[in-house]
Amino acid sequence: MKQNLDQVRNIGISAHIDSGKTTLTERILYYTQRIHAIHEVRGKDGVGATMDSMELEKERGITIQSAATFCTWKDHDINIIDTPGHVDFTVEVERALRVLDGAILILCSVGGVQSQSITVDRQMTRYNVPRIAFINKCDRTGANPYRVAQQLRDKLNLNAVMIQIPIGLESDLQGVVDLVTMKAVYFEGEQGDDLRYDEIPAELKDEAEEKREELLDAVSMFSDELMEVMLEEQEIPEEMIHAAIRKGTLSLELAPVMIGSAYKNKGVQSLLDAVNMYLPCPTDVENIALDLDNDEAEVVVSNNPEDDLVALAFKLEDGRYGQLTYIRTYQGVIKKGESIINTRTGKKIKVGRLVRLHADEMEEIDEAGSGDIVALFGVDCASGDTFCSKNINWSMSSMHVPAPVISLAIKPVDNKAQVNMSKALNRFTKEDPTFKTFVDHETNETIVSGMGELHLEVYIERMKREYGAEVEIGAPQVAYRETITRRADFNYTHKKQTGGSGQFGRVGGYMEPLADEEYEFVDEIVGGVIPREYIPSCDKGFQASMKKGTLIGAAITGVRMVINDGSFHAVDSSDMAFQQASKGAFREGYAKAGPVIMEPIMKVAVEGPSEFQGAVMGSLNQRRGMIVGTFEEGNYTVVEAEMPLSEMFGYSTTLRSLTQGKAEFTMEFSTYKQVPKSVAEELVKAYQEQQKEA
Amino acid sequence: MGYEPLVNQNPLRVLNLGRGSKQLGLVMARAGLGKTALLVQIALDSILRGNRVIHVSIGESIEKTKTWYDDILQFILQEHSITRPHELIEMVAQHRMIMTFKEDTFSRPRLEERLNDMILQDIFKPNCLVVDGFDFESSDRSTVEDIKEFLESMNLQAWFSATSHRGDDRVSPTGVPAPCHEVDDLFDTVILLRPEQDATIQLEIIRNNGSIPDSGAALNLDPSTMMVKEG
Repeated sequence: MKQNLDQVRNIGISAHIDSGKTTLTERILYYTQRIHAIHEVRGKDGVGATMDSMELEKERGITIQSAATFCTWKDHDINIIDTPGHVDFTVEVERALRVLDGAILILCSVGGVQSQSITVDRQMTRYNVPRIAFINKCDRTGANPYRVAQQLRDKLNLNAVMIQIPIGLESDLQGVVDLVTMKAVYFEGEQGDDLRYDEIPAELKDEAEEKREELLDAVSMFSDELMEVMLEEQEIPEEMIHAAIRKGTLSLELAPVMIGSAYKNKGVQSLLDAVNMYLPCPTDVENIALDLDNDEAEVVVSNNPEDDLVALAFKLEDGRYGQLTYIRTYQGVIKKGESIINTRTGKKIKVGRLVRLHADEMEEIDEAGSGDIVALFGVDCASGDTFCSKNINWSMSSMHVPAPVISLAIKPVDNKAQVNMSKALNRFTKEDPTFKTFVDHETNETIVSGMGELHLEVYIERMKREYGAEVEIGAPQVAYRETITRRADFNYTHKKQTGGSGQFGRVGGYMEPLADEEYEFVDEIVGGVIPREYIPSCDKGFQASMKKGTLIGAAITGVRMVINDGSFHAVDSSDMAFQQASKGAFREGYAKAGPVIMEPIMKVAVEGPSEFQGAVMGSLNQRRGMIVGTFEEGNYTVVEAEMPLSEMFGYSTTLRSLTQGKAEFTMEFSTYKQVPKSVAEELVKAYQEQQKEA
Repeated sequence: MGYEPLVNQNPLRVLNLGRGSKQLGLVMARAGLGKTALLVQIALDSILRGNRVIHVSIGESIEKTKTWYDDILQFILQEHSITRPHELIEMVAQHRMIMTFKEDTFSRPRLEERLNDMILQDIFKPNCLVVDGFDFESSDRSTVEDIKEFLESMNLQAWFSATSHRGDDRVSPTGVPAPCHEVDDLFDTVILLRPEQDATIQLEIIRNNGSIPDSGAALNLDPSTMMVKEG
């Protein structure tokens, strides 16, 4: 455990799929001597890179789960959170970003800033994560780091400044020129272990001078001292430049750009130096917790190991040895054998085994200090829970969790699969808050829902592989909703007199559309026309009615229910009677309130060669899309559109055949919008037929 | 569509917008005075009159251009009571498309290709085009003539913005500054944005739909909101 927090870095590596993130992580672990051999992601030796710990990831060559791993570089402890590169797993990315202090944004020197990088970068901005850009794959044909740096400025609006320039490019990539020290750096030896510093090659001198000027111009904004030295035209000390770059990076107003090729073992050590020099340590970042004993007032965590413990569980994993809970400590020290409290459940937990992780291997430790990322064994909790010592009751502020937009029915093939499926679902829903599951009581089917087709596919795949639960899957269903468009009055009497004690309740009032919120209940009853004790019954009755709309049976949202009138009977009124009356009142009002169907609209960006732009726009238009705009750069075009999710099933296949596989698209949830009349009619018709059959 | 009151109250009515479908307009100012804001208001006026507008943004991102519309729309919603603001916002989104180009990729053939892509497939048929960020400095007269001819052939109304520079004193006989001093006769309407002593920005209408305007109609931009005002 580091006593000196200045020497701790919690970083993430975020990037577009296939830009070489896993390879880079692998190299970092090799140079920091956490591993002793290098495996490739899709290597011939069949071992696979160390960070891709899940089988599925190994097979697909992509990283899905963010495993945390620990290494040290030049007296600094670095915790690396490997983050997924596909947009369907953004909750994983977002959760990782929550516990990070800084990040490396990897870009491919050929592909540049692609739509996925834009999404990831937007998330980093949301969580205020300072970043270093690393332009990877400079050994590839067509590599152009200058173009990528420009794209960082244009597309991501980053103040991207190159602090290195390449020596040679493509197959001729030899090393880099460090613009701070003005030295050439070569990475020699079979695995690039031997660094050789030399004079800048003569042919690069002018360019290096020019780029250094640009660098100094940009960073002088962050240091008056540096500005002064520059104006006086004195020799500029290296430390002064480093300090200015660091200051700019931490304030998110500067993004230093580094280059290299992880695959060819070039530039990785310099990148690690930069992580130590420019990325924040835990005390540089302000993290906020909510004091649950004080009306969720915001409190800044202290990072002080002497204070009471505050730690966040950000990731659960079902490993070979039981449940593993990854936590990040924000203040205090977590010690083996001590008791801590889960502030969500209020349960006391004893810290059993405490480990530091390196993908598949682990190291037992006795304590972990503030700012550290470690894992606990055998602790029952959900992802996102906060642990505190008994003196305080804080919760790290909630994470942004979007509601699921797609669902499908799954059916186990046999009894064994049934048991395993429930185990798997139990685990996945704990791990991932955007993955939800429930049983539809009408059809008796198990429904899983999530953020996209691929998101669900991966869990179904994992169910099969990790739990041996083979399931049949139904067609994906879009999560439609219903809402109202105008105010409507209701006045409903529920009366039942069929022997025994009767039921009586009358509820009057109105319902009206409510923007940006799901439901609100307003009690304007005066004079006790509905007795106090039955007011909650009305609320309950309305809420029950919200679960299922009358148009297509979808959940209703955006309704304010106001009650201002009613009557009761001294004997026959009851909780049940008022619930029933409220349900009736809701039905009555709903029919008059102009109910409509809403569907999830996705923000889609299709990126590909300009020659296919017409075809791409045509395909989006056919699918009821609204094209927001197009962005043209060189021979590449991005088409941005808002698309109904229901029209996007199978779009990847369509896009592939339209563009000879040269275009790709990303999709994220944007909002709910009313479906057009013709579509609504079809949905209603289908629902009615389905009801008839049942 | 029910937005007539909004359209009729718009001070921009002075410009006779919408009279001739082939009208070609130019907004000139030094950097930062509100050219884009004015173009967006012209575009929104066209949309409120039921037209479809393509906003060509050269050297800007889609996101930033969209933000301009969102901001100006918010000001409009604040100033006028509109019963269903969401419908207006939605209507604007459906009647507007943003096309952004890098400085070096914008050209008449490119524009023609893109417009044809959309018109032939019936994706979006624009009535009006606003072009923000066109580089008049490195375009000669024939380039501008070429674009004008193309826009006329498409039956499009179009508005361009151009940036003038403090140090450049060249002006056309009618008072249009460089870099448009040699092409200003190609435009039917020319508006100059001039900063005044009291921090307001005057709209100096040099030519209004082909004729020299009488000096009666004074418009200015409110410097805090960049909205066009009478007075």
